[in-house]
Amino acid sequence: MTKIIKPGKQSSIFRRPSSETGIWSWITTVDHKRIGIMYGYAAFFFLLIGGLEALVLRIQLSQPDNNFLTAAEYNAMFTMHGTTMIFLAIMPISAAFFNYLLPLQIGARDVAFPRLNALSFWIFIFGGAFLYSTFIFGTAGAPEGGYLSEEVGWLGSAPNGGWFGYQPNAGMKYSPGTAMDYWAIGLQILGIASLISAFNFITTIINMRTKGMRFMRMPVFTWMTFAVSFLLAFSLPIIAIALFYVTFDRKFGTTFFLTEGGGDPILWQHLFWLFGHPEVYILILPAFGIVSEVLPTFSRKPLFGYAAIVFAGFGIAFIGFGVWAHHMFASAISPVAQAGFGLSTMVIAVPTGVKIFNWLGTIWGGKLKLNTPMLFSLGFIGMFVIGGLSGVTHSVVPADTQQTDTYYVVAHFHYVLFGGALFGIFSGLYYWFPKVWGKMYNETLGKLHFWTMLIGFNLTFGPMHWLGLQGQVRRTWVYAEETNLQFWNIVVTIGAFIIAVSIIIFMINWIFSKRKGEKAPFDPWDARTIEWTIPSPTPEWNFSKAPEVKALDDFWHAKYEEDDEGRAVRKESAEQLLIELEEEGLNPTENIVLPNPSYFPIVLASGLPFLGYAVIYKSIPLALIGSLLLLIGSFGWGTEPLEEEVEDEEDNNEEYLDNV
Amino acid sequence: MSEEHINHPTPKRYVQIAIILGVLTAIEIALYYTEDLVGAFTAPLLIILAVGKFVIVVGWFMHLRFESKMVNRFFAGGMILALILFAIVMIERASANFS
Amino acid sequence: MSNAHAYPHEPTGVETRKLGMWVFLSTEILFFGTLITTFMIFKGREFPGIKLTDVYDIPFTSISSFILLMSSLTMVLAHNALEAKDQEKTRVWLLATAMLGAVFLAGQIYEFTEFYHKGFKLDTNIFSSTFYVLTGFHGLHVFIGVVLLLALWGIGQRQQGLTLEGGMNLEFVALYWHFVDIVWIVLFTVVYLI
Repeated sequence: MTKIIKPGKQSSIFRRPSSETGIWSWITTVDHKRIGIMYGYAAFFFLLIGGLEALVLRIQLSQPDNNFLTAAEYNAMFTMHGTTMIFLAIMPISAAFFNYLLPLQIGARDVAFPRLNALSFWIFIFGGAFLYSTFIFGTAGAPEGGYLSEEVGWLGSAPNGGWFGYQPNAGMKYSPGTAMDYWAIGLQILGIASLISAFNFITTIINMRTKGMRFMRMPVFTWMTFAVSFLLAFSLPIIAIALFYVTFDRKFGTTFFLTEGGGDPILWQHLFWLFGHPEVYILILPAFGIVSEVLPTFSRKPLFGYAAIVFAGFGIAFIGFGVWAHHMFASAISPVAQAGFGLSTMVIAVPTGVKIFNWLGTIWGGKLKLNTPMLFSLGFIGMFVIGGLSGVTHSVVPADTQQTDTYYVVAHFHYVLFGGALFGIFSGLYYWFPKVWGKMYNETLGKLHFWTMLIGFNLTFGPMHWLGLQGQVRRTWVYAEETNLQFWNIVVTIGAFIIAVSIIIFMINWIFSKRKGEKAPFDPWDARTIEWTIPSPTPEWNFSKAPEVKALDDFWHAKYEEDDEGRAVRKESAEQLLIELEEEGLNPTENIVLPNPSYFPIVLASGLPFLGYAVIYKSIPLALIGSLLLLIGSFGWGTEPLEEEVEDEEDNNEEYLDNV
Repeated sequence: MSEEHINHPTPKRYVQIAIILGVLTAIEIALYYTEDLVGAFTAPLLIILAVGKFVIVVGWFMHLRFESKMVNRFFAGGMILALILFAIVMIERASANFS
Repeated sequence: MSNAHAYPHEPTGVETRKLGMWVFLSTEILFFGTLITTFMIFKGREFPGIKLTDVYDIPFTSISSFILLMSSLTMVLAHNALEAKDQEKTRVWLLATAMLGAVFLAGQIYEFTEFYHKGFKLDTNIFSSTFYVLTGFHGLHVFIGVVLLLALWGIGQRQQGLTLEGGMNLEFVALYWHFVDIVWIVLFTVVYLI
C-alpha cells in the first residue's frame, strides 16, 4: 500500500505546522523545490530594485552637469545597485537553481539537511530586508572635510561607500551616520545564509547521490554547484572576519583599517578581495553549469569533453583563489606581488578558454534547435568571450593602472556578470520553465526578450569601453560638457531603457505562460539528464523510487542507441518508455517519507536582524530580543524530530533519520 | 556503526595520549622561560610543538586517522589553502614599506 | 540506518551529519586563519602604548590552557563510554568536559578584567584590538561548546539516554569541542609564547 507519511499534530513540545496550501505552508516548508521557487522570486524582486537603481543612475548621467540626483544620492544609488545585484539578485537566483535542481539531478528526495536549507533561505530574506531598512532607519551625514550637503533625503540615506567598502572611506570619519553599518552587518547576515547553504550542498552532493550516480556521471550543473559551494565555504569566512573588523572600527573605537591608530587599509583590500575574487566565480560558475546543460540538449550531441569541462571548472575555482590582488594593482602593493598576480591572472584565462572551446565543440556539427534557452546560451558564449578578453587586459599591470576606476572596468564586469551570468540564468529559467510549472512558455515572446535584451545590453555596456578609455571616471555623478562624453552617454542610457523593456517582456511571458500556457509534454526538449524522467511539474516526492543511473546522460541512453555508423538513433521503445515513466512518476508504489515542515527556521532567522540593530544602536533590549528568538528557534529545532517515526511492517525500526 | 569504531583506541591509550600532550605543553612553557638560553631556535621549536599537539588531537581525539579519505582530504584541503593564502598576505604586508 | 527509506544514502560511508560537521570545521580554519593573520601582521608593527607582554601572566594562562587540553581527554572518554553503551559514565565525562570548559571561560573573563584594569583595553592600540577580537572569538566558540555539552547532558538525563545515531549527536559536538581545543593550542603559542 502506498502512503505519503504526513506529520502528526503533536509530535513535539510544540504543535507542528500541518497546512499544505496557503501562506503558512510556504513559511514552514522545508521542501527544496518550494524553497527554490521562493529564492527565485525574492531574487527577481531584488533584481528589479537593483535595475531601477541603475536606471536612476543612467538618467543622471544622460546629460553633462545634470542635477537629477545630488552627489550623496548618487553615491547611495551606485553602492546599493552593486550590493543588491551581487548579494541579493545573482547569488540567490543561482541558489534558486541549486535548490530546485540539485536533488533532482542526483536523484535524491531532498537535500541533506532540509531544515538548514529553509534556515538559509529565511536568513537571506531577513538579511535583504535588514539591508534595505537602511532607507527607513539609516542616516548618512556629511563627511569631515567633504563638500556634500549636510542634509540628504531618504534616497541618500543608504550605504554610500561603494560595494567593496574601501577603507578608510567607509570608516566613521568619511561615512558618518549608520548607513555603512547597515551595509557591513547586512552583508554579514547574508554571508551566514550562503555559508549554511554551502555546507548543505557539499554534503548533499557527496552523500545523497542515487544508485550508480558516480562522481563522473553527475551532470555538469551539479559539478558547478559543487565548485561554487567550495568557493563559498572557503571565501565567506574571510569577509565575515573583515566585516567584523569594520563594525568594530565604526562602533567600538578600534582602528584595524585606520592608519591614524596604526591600522592598515590595504589589509581590508586583501581580505575583501580574498573573498571578492572567488565571489566572481561564485556568480559565473552556475551559469557555466546551466549553459553546459542547455547546449548539448539543443545541439543534439553529447557535451564535448565532459571531463575537461569538469576539471576546468575546478581549475577555475582553485586558481580563482590566487588572483585576488589584481584588483589592487593601483594600491601600494609590492612590484613582486604585482608581477605574480598579473601572471596568475593570465593563467586563469586558460581553463576558461578550455570551457569556451568545449562549448564550441559541442555545437560544432550539431543539429541546432534555436529555442529561447539555446539563444540565451549562444548569447552567453559571445558576451562572455568579450568580457573575458577585456578581463585579460587587466592582467597587464601598466594598462590596468590606466583602466582602474574608469568605465572600462565597469564595461568589463558587466559583460561578465550580465552578459555572462545573467544570460546563463535566463537560459536556465526558460529551459526548466516546463519542469517547474508543467506549462510551456511563449516561444515568440521569449525570442523577442532575447533580441531586445541582446541589443539593449550591447548598447549599454559596449560604449562604456571607449568612454572608459576616453577617461570617464567611475562613480562620479557628473561630467563636464567640455569632455565630449555626451554622445555615448546618451546611447548608454537608451540601451539601459531597452534592457528595462526586455525585462518587462520577460515578466509578461512568465505570468501569462504560467497561467495560460500550453501543457508541457513529458520531455519537451528531448533532454539528457534524470530530472526529466519525472513528471512536470515535479511531484512533491520527486522520484517515486530511487532511480538507478548507468551512464553519464542516463536519460539519453535510455532513449537512443548507436547505429552501425555511430549515429544516435531513437529507439522504437522510447515513446513507450516516456508513457511508462509518467505513469510511474505520478503513482508511487512505495511508502514515501518526506521531511516535515517546521516553524523554527524562520523563528531562528528572525533573531539575526534584531542582533544587527542591537549592534548599530548599541541597544541591550534589542540584543535580548534577538538572543531570545535564537534560543527559542534552536530549542524548538533541537527537540522536534525531522521526520515521523515510521513503523515498518517487517521490522519495527524506530530510528530518526538525519535529525538536523 | 560498530565496524567503524573497532579500531578506536582504548581509554588507557587516550590517557597516555593526554599525558604526552601535557608533557609537550610543559616543554612549551619551559621554552618560554629559557628563551635567553635557546635563542633564535625558540620560535621554530614552539611552532613545531604546537603543530605536534595539533596533529595528535586531530588524529587521535577527533579520529581523523580512522576516518575516510574524503574527510581527510577535505580538512587537509582547507588547511593547506588557508596556509598558502595567509602566507602570501603576511609576506606581502611585511614587505610593504611602512616607515 | 533505518530502511523506512528505501532510499540510498551515504555512498561514501561517512554519516551525513558527521560529514557536514567536518565541512563546517574546514571553513572554521579560514575564520581563525584570517584572525591569526591579522594578529601576526600587526604584531610586527610599531604601536604606541601598553603591550600584552606588560600585562599578561604566563603561569595563569598556562594552567587554563592545560585545563582546556584536558577537557579534550574527558570529551573523548565520554565518546568512548557511549560507544560502550555506558550511559552513566557518558554523563559523568560530559559534565566534566562542560565544567572544564566553564573553568577555562571563567579564567578568560578574569584575565580580560585584569588586563582592562591595567589599561590594556579594546581601543588602547591596534595590538590590544586584535588580541581581544581574536581571543574573544575563540571564547565565544568555547561558550557555544559549553552550551552544547550541557544540552547533551540534559538530553542524557532522559529515560532512553543518548545514542550515537539520532538527534543531538555526541559525536559531532565532540568534533566541535576538539576543534576549539586545537585552535587554542595554536593561539596559546602564537599569542602568548612567541
